[in-house]
Amino acid sequence: MSIEFIWQLPTSGDGRYGNATKQRRGERSSAEHPYSPGVTDPRGQSFNYFDYLHQVARAADLAGFDGLRIPENPEGDDPWIVTGYVARGTRHLKLITEFEAAWGSSVYAAKNAVSLQRYTGSRVAWQISLGGDAKQRRALADFAAEGDLYPRVDEFLTVARGVTTQSPFTFKGRFFEVLNGGFQGALGQQKFPTVYLSGKGTEGHQLSAKHADVHVFDAASVADVAEQVKQLKALAKDAGRTLAFGLRIDVVARETEKEAIFDARRYWEQSGAKRGGGDPLISQHLWAGLSTDSTGATGTLVGSYEQVSQLLIDYANAGITSFLLSAVPHFEEAYRLGERVLPVVRSHISPDHRRAA
Amino acid sequence: MTIDIFWRIPTHGEPSSHRSRTPHRGDWFPGDDSRRKNGLAGSGEDGFNYIDYLAEIAHAAEISGFQGGLIPSFPMTDEPWVISSVLARETETFRFMIPFQPGFLNPVVAARMTASLQRATGGRALYNIITGGGGPAQLWWGDSAGHDDRYGRTTEFLDILQGVWKGGPFSYQGKFYQVEDGGLAHPLSQEDYPEIYFSGSSDAALASASKHANYYLSWLEPFDQLREKFDRVKERTHLLGRKIKCAVRVDIIARPTEEEAWEEVRRGFDALPKETIEQYLRSDGGDSVGAARQRSGKPTTLNSYKDLIIEPNVWSGFSLLRGGQTNGIVGSYAQVAERLDQLVQLGADAFILASTPHLEEAYRVGEEVLPLVRGSTSSPALRAVG
Repeated sequence: MSIEFIWQLPTSGDGRYGNATKQRRGERSSAEHPYSPGVTDPRGQSFNYFDYLHQVARAADLAGFDGLRIPENPEGDDPWIVTGYVARGTRHLKLITEFEAAWGSSVYAAKNAVSLQRYTGSRVAWQISLGGDAKQRRALADFAAEGDLYPRVDEFLTVARGVTTQSPFTFKGRFFEVLNGGFQGALGQQKFPTVYLSGKGTEGHQLSAKHADVHVFDAASVADVAEQVKQLKALAKDAGRTLAFGLRIDVVARETEKEAIFDARRYWEQSGAKRGGGDPLISQHLWAGLSTDSTGATGTLVGSYEQVSQLLIDYANAGITSFLLSAVPHFEEAYRLGERVLPVVRSHISPDHRRAA
Repeated sequence: MTIDIFWRIPTHGEPSSHRSRTPHRGDWFPGDDSRRKNGLAGSGEDGFNYIDYLAEIAHAAEISGFQGGLIPSFPMTDEPWVISSVLARETETFRFMIPFQPGFLNPVVAARMTASLQRATGGRALYNIITGGGGPAQLWWGDSAGHDDRYGRTTEFLDILQGVWKGGPFSYQGKFYQVEDGGLAHPLSQEDYPEIYFSGSSDAALASASKHANYYLSWLEPFDQLREKFDRVKERTHLLGRKIKCAVRVDIIARPTEEEAWEEVRRGFDALPKETIEQYLRSDGGDSVGAARQRSGKPTTLNSYKDLIIEPNVWSGFSLLRGGQTNGIVGSYAQVAERLDQLVQLGADAFILASTPHLEEAYRVGEEVLPLVRGSTSSPALRAVG
């Protein structure tokens, strides 16, 4: 069994605190002046948050992660631009660009992905999500009906894969249309991006069974995950496909369990959660909603390096092969996990693990 | 006001001279061994690929004093959004001119991509808005809108882009797009709006351009025809209470002497396969009015490169040597500079120049031609004073 660790690039801000006040390290365009007037600030306007994103990406590469999830957030920087921006500075990382089917033409998306594949040695992957609620979607010029969201992703992927892998390719659907399309010549024969999907419910699971390479679950207990893996495996089998499984989960891992719980509590309080306002524990070491506002993950593993490693091994035994992790601040924590957790899990799962070039 | 001069990034692949149509440089076509023969950088196993060559050109253009470059997008080429974002970090002054068709992107997504690219490059992104040649080519891209509809859509797209740019909340009810309380978030909303170069020669295009463009961009046409076109654009824009500048996109072959320049053309022309010439004589370009305007002076037979000289130093066979535009300037360094100054006098405020191979020619044109261009100081009024 081979597993992959995916780190997250904080496209909408990062911070040391759990209160979801997004900091943008390196951002100098705001009026705030962090130093007192009595201290020289040499930074000027010459760099901004993109330089920090670049550094997080490099950190993930150096710390031994296999990939980078570049999440979509309406408040943040655009995942496609960020993907291109970190492409040249990273050597090994798979780059998972998250976006929505309302992005635009699926042919255009596929064509942009072909260029990225050409320039990165085929390191590009997609995560296509459904987007926010109706109000958020309308703010993004997307007036699709609720019931059309999954069918639209279905068509989007059908067309994008079609023009990448076949020529000529013709398709006429409700949302997308193409006539004698398909990439040829220098653009032909490129690998279609690995597809990560995280749809929910019967419709979401069916979409994954049809199109996904990896279905990504939200954080849940090991038992829950095992059960869902079983169901989705059956669906994929019905569709004549095999599917890999991912888990989107945050981590607070420290030298001791005590430290981890102390830090997790501090985040919990900083995030504005009311004391006694519901138990954050889903199961042992799994906290709900600890950093959802700042990272998007619905659950966080809290414990010592050994405990967190063991839990990841348990998830792996339940069928998870892609761990989509994050922790704040993303730069420092990439090194921490790369040094203290990833090697333990890897040596346990596949003792001869070597990262593929 | 001074004249802005851009270069071009060869997204079509790059041969080593006008005499070859085999784009072997830098692994543009990594799967094709015949194209790799005598090429640069091996099979991709060394970690190099075409973006490494494009980075070389971008640097050459920076060092040679160009503003930046146009990064053309066609079915056979790599995409400018990708090239710009990938090269953002390793360039300093190079401005990325991104051509795209508004119908391909959700306008709010496009606004955010652009603002992020501005952040990634320190404000070096700008647009070349194109609206598509039409016909089956447009359906290849997955776009089924008709010609005039496409310009209507372009106008709506730019309305929304501008509306959400400074943060909104912005709402819009159009025929093609709707938005409800959209707007870029801070700090993306702090970025400069991109300069817009607008292409398109039809009435529908001019209507859209006059509302939104900073520059009206035309291929090189016969000089009198171009003067008339620029006057018309400026007049229409003036009626809307706006100002617009004009730009010319032109391939050049500049050599120390005129003789050498034409010799380069002759050798390129004589090396053409017969089929290329036959295809050229038959060709048709969908419903694009600009393409038709370029074709208008096309001869019915073609025996020598000289049949394609349409006025002094202007040769209309460039599309034979390399896909793309038809008319270009051929001459000595001084003649090319002089022709560019004549274009300034008839209304051009900016140029996008190109010559093959783009790497060496960026240095040549930067060193030999640009210093001879007088630019805005070449206007007749100023000359009379000087």
